[in-house]
Amino acid sequence: MSKFYLDAGTTWSKILEITDDNEKKYSVIKSSSLKDFQNIIFEKTTGHNFNHVQKKEHVNEVVALVKGCEHLIKPDGIVLDLGSRDIKWAKYKNDNFSDMDWNSSCASATGATIEMLLKFYNLNVSDLEFTKDRYSVTCGIFGLEQIMDDISNGLSAKVAISKFVHGIAFNAYNFTKTPEKIFISGGFCENKCFLDSLSYYTEVVSIGRFVLVDGLSRLPLC
Amino acid sequence: MKKDLIGFWGYVDPEIVKLNKKMYPDATFIDLDVGTDAPSSKIVPDSYCKIIKNIFDNAFFYKERLIKILAPIGKDKCDSGFFAANILKEFGFNVETLFYEVIAQDYSKLNTPISKSNLPLKKKIEIITANIIDLKEIKTTQVKPRFGFWGVPPHDLSILELFPDDTHVYGWTRCVEANYPADINLEMFVDEGVPTVFYAQTFCAKNQLAKYLADKYNGLYVDVDGIANNSVKAKIEAFLKLR
Repeated sequence: MSKFYLDAGTTWSKILEITDDNEKKYSVIKSSSLKDFQNIIFEKTTGHNFNHVQKKEHVNEVVALVKGCEHLIKPDGIVLDLGSRDIKWAKYKNDNFSDMDWNSSCASATGATIEMLLKFYNLNVSDLEFTKDRYSVTCGIFGLEQIMDDISNGLSAKVAISKFVHGIAFNAYNFTKTPEKIFISGGFCENKCFLDSLSYYTEVVSIGRFVLVDGLSRLPLC
Repeated sequence: MKKDLIGFWGYVDPEIVKLNKKMYPDATFIDLDVGTDAPSSKIVPDSYCKIIKNIFDNAFFYKERLIKILAPIGKDKCDSGFFAANILKEFGFNVETLFYEVIAQDYSKLNTPISKSNLPLKKKIEIITANIIDLKEIKTTQVKPRFGFWGVPPHDLSILELFPDDTHVYGWTRCVEANYPADINLEMFVDEGVPTVFYAQTFCAKNQLAKYLADKYNGLYVDVDGIANNSVKAKIEAFLKLR
């Protein structure tokens, strides 16, 4: 029988199915549709929306993140996961877990805000392009104010949102204490403008949005 | 209303406690540092140390019942304690300011069995703080530290429940158990190599020490304003699991 692992994010959920033949099948669904998965008992879950499904064990997100990529970030590396509503990073030094941070208190400068802006201005994420200019998005709400001001003064929404994304990338770089190289996990791996903006400051390795479910599958079963 | 309470904060010299128990045998001692359901006194700014807010809120809530407030204002507490004592005096409270800045002479003779015991961390800290007024000798089993908790007793004690029982107590709380609340050397001591969470109440000056020591000893620095959110708890949980 297949084993299922779930990273139940705020907006999107990632599922890993491992079949009896050890084949791995990955999928992404809207978290709002998790209630349709009541017939599955997940081996392990992580993420904010885990309460909507049946599971054997729930795992801390940073633990899932680290387990999903420690083979990449060892001996001295750092991984950043930027999702819909939170940002977290973990670091290895001399082959040992050494530092981390996790900010989920303010979601005004994360994925959900970008999705909202793209919807509002009828754009796709692929429309965004790296721009050397950036907004200061120390507070995402003030960042939104700058976007709206600039657009009303004639700047295209595409450029304004790209500047906002650059601001988020700059914040991410500082939040992780300005590393020389960084592994990126989460939904922002599919945002080229974000990756290009972050690459302006540091070497970026995108490792996809399934790192946490992979991490769950590497933990011992209950 | 009958005056039947003696308020205090921080660490009060045992001799002062003894004297006050003799002078007011029927009085109950109340730790003003500890959060209660007292309404906000609105004296200090909204963004301020929650422990100092508790002091004001409790003091005003129990004002009619307070005989006096025993108020440490030296290095054994903090500048905010000094300011609080003087503001409370202005509001008509009977405030007895205290200094207890004795430094340990021989660190090999320090007695901190509770900090190094196998009791649950929350229990350790509750016993240490309760012992300030009513010292109770309890039998403890000493254990090697698997983790450390450095800092003051948090406003939200629930974060202490995340730690395993073989967590040692460091920082100001350990200083209190040793009866040297102002001993900076003891306050800065941790066992090297023991993964330690360095905790400070948001807006407290001890954040400076907590951050510095966390960097120095490769620990986890956290500050919490009031109730710990899920993010802070998850950070501590991940640190304990991954280290």
